[in-house]
Amino acid sequence: MILNLKNVRKRYEGGESVVEAVRGVTLSLAAGDFVALMGPSGCGKSTLLHLCGAMDRPSEGELSIEGTEIRRLSDDQLTALRRQRLGFVFQFFNLLPTLTVRENIELPLLLSGAAAGESARRAGELAERVGLGHRQGHYPQQLSGGEMQRAAIARAIIHRPALLIADEPTGNLDSGNGEKVLELLKELNRDPGLTILMATHSNETAAIASRLVRMRDGLIESEG
Amino acid sequence: MKLFSKLFHQFILRHLVRERMRSIATIIGIALGIAVVLAIQMTNASSLRGFEKAIETVSGRTSLEVVGTGLGLDEGVVTSLGWLRSYGQVAPIIEGEAEARAADGRRETLRVLGVDILKDRSFREYNLLEFGAAEPTPQEFLELLIDPKAVVITEKFARRWGLKTGDEIELTFADRATRYRIRGLLLDEGPARAVDGNFALMDIAAAQWALGRLGRLDRLDVLLGDRKSLDQAEEEIRRRLPPGLKVQRPARRGAQVEKMLEAFHFNLAALSYIALLVGLFLIYNTVSISVITRREEIGTLRAVGVTRGRILGLFLAEAAGLAVIGCGLGLGLARGLSYGAVRLTATTVQSLYIATAATPEPLGMRQVLLAFGIGLPLALLAAALPALEAARVAPMAAMRGHDRLASRYRLKPILLLGPLVLFGLAWWMAGQPPVQGLPLFAYGSAVSIVFGAALLAPAVLYGLGRIGDRVLFKLFRVEGRLANANLAGSIPRLSISVAALAVSLSMMVAIAVMIGSFRETVIYWVGQTLQADLYLRPATRNNVATDAPFSPEVEQIVAGHPEVAAVDRFRNFDLAYADGLVTIGTGEFQTLLNYGSLQFKEPAEPEAGREAMRRAIGQEAVVVSESFALKFAKQRGDAVTLDTPRGSVVFRIAAIYYDYSSDRGILVMDRGTFNRYWGEPQATSLTVYLRDGADPDRVRDQLLARFGDQYRVFVFTNKTLREEVLRIFDSTFSITYALEVIAIFVAILGVASTLLTLILERRRELSILRLVGADYRQVRKMVLIEAGMIGAVSQAIGLLIGLLLSLLLIYVINVQSFGWTIQFHLPTGFLIQSSILILIATVLAGLYPARAASRLPATEQMAEE
Ligand SMILES: Nc1ncnc2c1ncn2[C@@H]1O[C@H](COP(=O)(O)OP(=O)(O)OP(=O)(O)O)[C@@H](O)[C@H]1O
Ligand SMILES: [Mg+2]
Repeated sequence: MILNLKNVRKRYEGGESVVEAVRGVTLSLAAGDFVALMGPSGCGKSTLLHLCGAMDRPSEGELSIEGTEIRRLSDDQLTALRRQRLGFVFQFFNLLPTLTVRENIELPLLLSGAAAGESARRAGELAERVGLGHRQGHYPQQLSGGEMQRAAIARAIIHRPALLIADEPTGNLDSGNGEKVLELLKELNRDPGLTILMATHSNETAAIASRLVRMRDGLIESEG
Repeated sequence: MKLFSKLFHQFILRHLVRERMRSIATIIGIALGIAVVLAIQMTNASSLRGFEKAIETVSGRTSLEVVGTGLGLDEGVVTSLGWLRSYGQVAPIIEGEAEARAADGRRETLRVLGVDILKDRSFREYNLLEFGAAEPTPQEFLELLIDPKAVVITEKFARRWGLKTGDEIELTFADRATRYRIRGLLLDEGPARAVDGNFALMDIAAAQWALGRLGRLDRLDVLLGDRKSLDQAEEEIRRRLPPGLKVQRPARRGAQVEKMLEAFHFNLAALSYIALLVGLFLIYNTVSISVITRREEIGTLRAVGVTRGRILGLFLAEAAGLAVIGCGLGLGLARGLSYGAVRLTATTVQSLYIATAATPEPLGMRQVLLAFGIGLPLALLAAALPALEAARVAPMAAMRGHDRLASRYRLKPILLLGPLVLFGLAWWMAGQPPVQGLPLFAYGSAVSIVFGAALLAPAVLYGLGRIGDRVLFKLFRVEGRLANANLAGSIPRLSISVAALAVSLSMMVAIAVMIGSFRETVIYWVGQTLQADLYLRPATRNNVATDAPFSPEVEQIVAGHPEVAAVDRFRNFDLAYADGLVTIGTGEFQTLLNYGSLQFKEPAEPEAGREAMRRAIGQEAVVVSESFALKFAKQRGDAVTLDTPRGSVVFRIAAIYYDYSSDRGILVMDRGTFNRYWGEPQATSLTVYLRDGADPDRVRDQLLARFGDQYRVFVFTNKTLREEVLRIFDSTFSITYALEVIAIFVAILGVASTLLTLILERRRELSILRLVGADYRQVRKMVLIEAGMIGAVSQAIGLLIGLLLSLLLIYVINVQSFGWTIQFHLPTGFLIQSSILILIATVLAGLYPARAASRLPATEQMAEE
């Protein structure tokens, strides 16, 4: 199992009010799964993705990534886990505006101490693969939304993660560009068999996934 | 108004509280800037006021005084001035200094006034402890002072030293130590209040004897009857006085001293403004960052109908609020700093100019007005630009991300043109002459250079951003690349901090180069000029203003030592010239020519200089110091008219020599020439040349042994005098360094606060970094590299601009204010050391922002979307 959740809960305690955004979720993802997470706004999709992406720890329940229970990990160990085994794509602000496309893509490799030549080579390859070969030296502001998202995907997979977390990756794109991004995700799911967990609002987007999970009020409503 | 205060509260105050680190840094910056300016102002005032107050309290009700030319007046001349009494009462005065010495080695200098007590009581109040508030009758007073070893000291001093009436006290006048008996204690009134109670009263005859000035007076105090107006009396007396005597008001002496200290004070004050300038950069910084980071909020306010004027007002109010708190704190700080500043300047003022009891002026209304009068308007001025920018924000800016994706920073040509114009202006101003003896244009030039450099900061950062990646990636790997990218992405925000730091660093560099050059020049000069083996001066002679000649016995002991080859008996004293004072010196030109050496400026060849000096012997000719020549625009061969006891005499300038011992002009004439006008001079210093092979240390010890307890003489060997010269030199500039350190501290505060702001502004980018796997160490390293880069860029600009400024200081400002030629010399060691220190300091300043950055959670970015 890539991902295993058992009765996971997440509470946000802000002063007097306590919000329980995830209220007991049990879910597993096997290698090669492409899971779409759907549900109305505020139902807890993003919160669940944060937990699955080791950005945050659950308040209760068990959550393991490739068999490692994350509740027992220190902040440093969580960082290392993200750096080595996880990739992320979000709706906004995925790229660092002060770095070029290629520099953005190779960032995770450099951060884990890869050799500069090797990481630049791989970033170049990936840029080609996501169709940005001619844009490598550009800054994010000079790209279209779709190109930015593809660059973000390239960066998310450069270190060959076990799991890609995508939170509404097409939410900010027109349908044409959105389709291209989804195409790319689908392709990556096939080769090299990347496991993907993607939150989305739209049925069309969810349709390309191999499994659909519906959420409501912090709970899983149905699972396919 | 109500809306405004509500907006101010919600929009400005809350923001300031939320960003309290930066608010605090700004306030501290302003407080320090104001405090430094006030402290220097108070210190300058204190050295003057100490002197003026002493004059004022000692002169009592005196309306006019008759003085001689330089060395006081002959008692004999008084008999011919009987007519003076028709204007009012006349009292003779002799003044001097004595050193009190306790058994435990404690020493303090006392101002001694010798008076004719019968006549003097109408001029000054003398209330003795024994008599309570009532003044003793002349008879009673006379009895106190009839004994030539009697002295009356102040109750304040007696209390401090644990003395009472009837006790003995050892006083040294010039080189003679004698025990005196305390015959009375003055209450803290009248002249006793001068110089913090360090005051002693003696009978005039006893004082003349003690000071070694028999038959001499310093002045005649005149208390006018109410028959005539002061102006009229002064004019009439002036006309009737014989040549060599002058009439003046007591305050005149204060004005002369003020003139003398003017350049020193002006330069200190100018330096003190640097810290304030940097403090203002901080205000500018803070307000513009508030504006930059809140464009969206401002846009929202505009969109909901807040007028442009209100927006402008809000940001000006922010600046005013910060400035008011800063100025208030600065006032408090100033008092403390002024004690430090007084201590740091005391040696200079006392050894080079005047002896005054230096305690800083207490804080008064004047300082409060000054603090707010300078601080507030300047703060508003500094905030005006960013506040105007805020007022121009369009309601459209409310739209999220409106300018987030603004195109990358582009270098505007104005940013290169501006510095060019300013540097050109600086070049022109550097060539202008001084204004009334003050280098105003030169300072204008310095300001232009500084602003030019500040405008250059964005261009430098831009250039660095383009080439920095390669180097930093090599050095620091990915963190270096990120740091470089961050800097390149924040040029508008960073420029201000970099400029502020660069400006204060450039001042530091300039001053270090100037002082280093000056020091080398002085060392060279001392090496060339100080050729004698021993230098002697009486114990109480601390500066030129103290008339303390040697005892004949001391001179005999020195001249009679078998190993002494020659003695140059040197005498110098202050003489009124133009509005201020110059020093007249006289010695044996022939001895100097045979044994010593002067460094001549004109004529330049040493032999020609010596020849000119040889020919001046016996002539109405003087050899003048460079500072005299520059200050009064005199050339070799020009005439100088001096007041002598025999009236005005014209002297020709035979040669000009280098002298760094004092910035007031010095005129030296041969003893023979001097004798014709002032009479046989008593020596105030002895320059001793020993026979070949004599050991100066041994001769020194032998001389000191012969002087025993009776004569107190400082004997410097050539080596110790050189050390003494450098000690005074170094202490003169310690204040300069202290001011600089404060300015740099303020600038580094600015760097820290800017970094912190950038961190807050870059929250999202930071969380992306954390998300893709940067651990907190990497984030911290990145921010520290950024801080170090800011330090390095600033130091680089600072070095460059500092070198420019040092040229200005050395070749223009110094020449114009002090009249010194300084040879350029680069203190490389110091510059390298300070550069490393600055780098370390800025990296340390990055610690807090780095910690703040590394603590941001990885989920930050989503919370806002
Ligand atoms: N950091 C937080 N602190 C407090 N409450 C939070 C926080 N993050 C999310 N919540 C709350 O948790 C609930 C779930 O939020 P979440 O962002 O997971 O919803 P979502 O399903 O992603 O919605 P959307 O489709 O609009 O993105 C919401 O009620 C939200 O207000
Ligand atoms: Mg969401």
